[in-house]
Order: sequence, then structure tokens, then C-alpha cells
Amino acid sequence: MMRFPRSIRWRLQLWYGALLVAVLGGFGFTAFHLERARQFRRIDEGLQQRLSVLVDALRGGPERGPERKPVIDVRLAPAQAALFGDATGFYFAIWMQGKVPIAGSLNAPAGVPKPDNRGAVLRMRGDFRESFLFAAPVNCVLVGRSIATEQADLHTLAAALAAVGAAVLAAGLIGGWWMVARAIRPIDEISGTAARIAAGDLSQRIGTADTDSELGRLAGVLNSTFSRLETSFAQQARFTADAAHELRTPVAVMLTQTQSALARERPAAEYRETLEACQRATQRMRRLIESLLELARLDAGQEPMRLGECDLSKIAADCIELVRPLAAARGIQIQANLAAASCRGDSERLAQVATNLLSNAIDYNRDGGELHVSTKRSNGTATLIVSNTGPGILDQDLPLIFERFHRADRARSGGHSGLGLAIAKAIVQAHGGTIKAESGLEKMTTFSVNVPA
Amino acid sequence: MRLLVVEDEPDLLRGLARALRDEGYAVDTAEDGEDGLFKAESVNYDAIVLDVMLPRLDGWEVLRRLRAKKKTPVLLLTARDRSADRVRGLDTGADDYLVKPFDLPELLARLRALIRRSAREVRSVIEIGDVTVDIAARIVSQMKKSVVLTAREYALVEYLALHRGEVVTRTALYEHLFDESDDTLSNLLDVHVSNVRKKLGHDFIVTRRGHGYSIEA
Repeated sequence: MMRFPRSIRWRLQLWYGALLVAVLGGFGFTAFHLERARQFRRIDEGLQQRLSVLVDALRGGPERGPERKPVIDVRLAPAQAALFGDATGFYFAIWMQGKVPIAGSLNAPAGVPKPDNRGAVLRMRGDFRESFLFAAPVNCVLVGRSIATEQADLHTLAAALAAVGAAVLAAGLIGGWWMVARAIRPIDEISGTAARIAAGDLSQRIGTADTDSELGRLAGVLNSTFSRLETSFAQQARFTADAAHELRTPVAVMLTQTQSALARERPAAEYRETLEACQRATQRMRRLIESLLELARLDAGQEPMRLGECDLSKIAADCIELVRPLAAARGIQIQANLAAASCRGDSERLAQVATNLLSNAIDYNRDGGELHVSTKRSNGTATLIVSNTGPGILDQDLPLIFERFHRADRARSGGHSGLGLAIAKAIVQAHGGTIKAESGLEKMTTFSVNVPA
Repeated sequence: MRLLVVEDEPDLLRGLARALRDEGYAVDTAEDGEDGLFKAESVNYDAIVLDVMLPRLDGWEVLRRLRAKKKTPVLLLTARDRSADRVRGLDTGADDYLVKPFDLPELLARLRALIRRSAREVRSVIEIGDVTVDIAARIVSQMKKSVVLTAREYALVEYLALHRGEVVTRTALYEHLFDESDDTLSNLLDVHVSNVRKKLGHDFIVTRRGHGYSIEA
């Protein structure tokens, strides 16, 4: 999870850090430049004001007149002189045609060069900010000031901004790391749980404290998936155990019979008995294996129903003829009430269902009991109903009788594998139909099959 | 030795009964739990082989009800091999437990061990004077030479040997040596006793008049 730079945590942190740097840099840069511009505007305003005062003073009074040669008088009134000097930091210099100033304030730095660019009115020269004007009566007037203090202030500001920015960035990254950790902690938990489940412990579940967040909902979905997986694995395990269990008894018969037969010489009749017992056990295993394979194919959907027009009443009539000898042997009366019930279905498969229900109704009936079979069609559904007067099924067993290997009396009963009803249910469901059982002890036990027409 | 086998699968029941009779046991059979419980309660069997999955009354219930009255050794036979089932079987009062499918020699050995244990015999060879009874091999020998006995004669010697020093009544001998299909009113027992005396010496089996027979320890 912590692998750089693949992990979500690192990538989130990188993006978050980059965004934070951009925002802080933008703010710092803007703040610095606004402050710098404000400082320069203030300085420039001072320079401009003094420049115009100086120019006005040089031009003197209007009485001198333009017709007369201008007289250069650079003596300043006290109020004007107070604008310059060490107290204010401002200085000035005045040039005629030559390169050397003809006048200047005392605090002017030595060798102020005469500006030569007629277009500009402001210049920076080292730590000095200067404003100038090429104007009559002299050739050029310049006002300047050292801005070393302001520059130093700006540097301090820049350093302060950088320091605060770095601190905020660090705090932001730490906070971000913590928040990302918090946000992805459920993911760690989910992956941990999934890993334990993959390792075989299907009872593991993700703890979901907040069920409303996105991850909480994901955990909920995963948990219900895990539950279904666990149930289906448990069913599968029970099915396998039951199948193995069902195979154990015939194998025990064969082992016991053959081992005891081979233990000593025996008359031919005893060998014959042994072989017959082994044959019965083998047949039982064969039936069981066939049923298991059939169920597996039905489960996998590999056994497509050959759907066609068929009539449940005809199917039922054929099946009744098939089981009539079995019923007669136990003195069971079959009462049929078969109305036409056409439907779309696989007639062979439906006959298998009907035969299963009929033979169950005989095997679980009492001697001399009754067996009712009826078919009908209503509301687009064909229905087959098989009832018997057997001892019935307990309420607690009713929901389970279609389960694989369920038998009301857990002991073996006749040649039943315990899969007949499960297969019947799978076939009916493959037709899009339903099968259900109703019973009460000492009442009729009724199975009804509905197949859509 | 007389055994009861309760098993609902007819072929397995017949196979077991035949194998046990071959070993010289008197064998009674029952195909469901009710019949099995009735027989187990009315006869003093030397051991019972009991299937767990039985119609009418399952093996657990048979065992539970039988244990309220008797201590007959019971070997449970079942197709379930989960450890929880084995624990339940032993806790309910079974003396041993065998999972289907089983090997006949193992079943027979376990039955012999059960019967020996219930007679408080630790070893499978019992020595009485110059006679040796090997219960595992089912061989009786005298002076290191094996003596040929019929199955019934051997069963008689084995039963008396396991109860040596005690007086065993004729009724008990009939109960343990003959199964339900034998005619217990015959004088078959006297014939067997007489034959054993011919082979192992007259004093090997002592007659306690009015009580029964015994072998001196």
C-alpha cells in the first residue's frame, strides 16, 4: 500500500502538495508585488511633486518674460529647500547643455550622470530612484532619492512571506497526509478482510461503522457478497459431504459382502447371493452418480430444455400407466382427472418430473391408500397436481424437501437417492415454472407443478 | 458370544451377519431402531453393532435409551465421519466407533477388543492350566499343541474362559452361545460340553449341579 509512487496515498499527497505550492506561491508573489508597487508609487509621487516644485522655482516669476534671456536662479525659498536634504533623503541636480551639473543639493551623490533618454521620466540607478525633466529654462532637472531602506523592507517581506508559505505548506502536507490516511483506512481494512477471505476464512466481514459514506456503502455491498459466497460454499460443502455419505453405504455393502465371501470356500448359492448384493449396491451407486451428474449439468445450464408444444395431461396419462404396476402391488388406487393442459415444455423432462412425483406418491403412501392425479390449464399456466394419502410431511420439513439429499426420515427409504425432488425442481425451474408441496400430518400430501403455457 | 446387529440396509445386514457367524458368534439381527432397542433390552448380548441412521428410531436414540438400562458394549457404525459425530457417539455411551465403509477384519478385531474389555480382560491370550485360549486367533491349544474345536465348542470354551472362576448358568450359556434362530430347548449345550471334555480333559469344565458350569481360574 505504501509503495511509491503507485500507491493512492502517495499520488494524492503529490497532487495535494503541488496544488498547495501553486496556491501559496501565487498568493506570496501577488502580495510581494502589490507591496512593491505601492512603495514605488509612494516614492515616485514624492519625486514628481518635488520635481514640479523645483521646475516652478527655476522658471521664476512671470514678470521676467519670455523675450528676455532667462536668468538662472537656483536659490530656493526655505519651504522649498526643506523638501530636500538629508532630513528627507531627496536630492536634486540641474544641468545646462554640458554634462556636468551646474547646481545640485548638498546631499546629491557625487557624479550623478545626466539622463540622456528624452522619452523616459523615471530611472533606477543602483539604490537610487530618480525622476527628471528636460525643460526650460535649464536643460535638465533631476530629483532623486535612495531607496535602500525600502528595498531592504521588501527583502524582509519576501523572506517573511517565504517562511510563512513554507510553514503553511508543511502544515498542509502533514494535515493532508493524515486526512488521506483517514480517508483510505477503510480501504486498508477492506483489502485486509478480502485477503483473509481469500486465505479461506469465509466468516470474515468488514467492520462498517459509517454506512453512509462511499466506502461504507462499498463495504456493505462486499459484506453481502461475502455472505452469499459463504452460504453457497457451505451448501456446496454440505452437498459434497452428503454425496460422499450416500456413496459410503453401498461401498460398505460391497466391502463387507466380498470380504466375508472370500474369507473361506462357500457353496455356489452363497457366492450368487454375494454377487446379487454387490449388484444391488452397484446399481444404487450408478443411480446416485447419474443423479449427481444430472444435477450438475442442470446447475451449469448444460442441459437445454427442448421446448415444444406438449400436453401435461398426456404426459401424466403415460406416466400413470408406467407406475400402475407399482401402485397395484401395494393396493393403491389411482384416481386421475386429466383435463387438457397444453404448455411449452420438454415432454421427456416433464415426464421425468411426473414419474418422480408419482413414484414418490406410491412409495410414501400407505398400503391400500389413494393417489390423485389431475391436470388443468388456467390463466396461461398448465398445472399438474399429485396427491397421496401417505403419512404426510412435517411442517418443519416442507421447506426442505426440495433440498438435495433431504429426507424427512433421515434414514434411507427404499431406492430413493434423496435427489429426485431436487432434480424435479431444477427441471421445472428451467421451464420457468414452479413446484410446491403442501401437507399436514394425517392429511393429503399434495405436490403441484405449474408450467407457463 | 452373542451379538446383535442393527442395520437397515438389508444387504449390509446379511453380509455382516454371515461374517460374524463365520467367526463363531451367535448373531441376532434387527432392521430398525425399535426392533433393535427391544432386542437389546431383552437379551444380554456380548456386544451390539449399531447403525446410526435407522428408520423409526435412530441409533443415537437407541443408544441413549439402552444406556438407561444396560451396559452392553456398543460399536456404532455410521457413514458420517465428522469428528463432532464421533464425539457425540462416544459421549452418548458408545464404546467404539467405525465409519462406513469399513474393513471386515477391523470390525472383527474391534468387536473382539470390546468383548474382551467388557470381561475386564487385558490380553488376548488366556492361560488355564496347560490350556491356552487365543481369543484373537480363535485357537485353543493344550501343551503347545492346537486342539481342533468346532465354532460352537470354541465359543463355549471362550465364554467360560472369559468368565473363569465364576459359575456360568445354563441359561446364560444358552443366551450367549445361541441366536434367536436356534432351538434353545434342545440338549445341544450338553453335547458341546461333552465334546469339549473329550478334547481337553474331563476336569477342564466343572459341572456345578443345579447351578451351571465353570472353569477354575
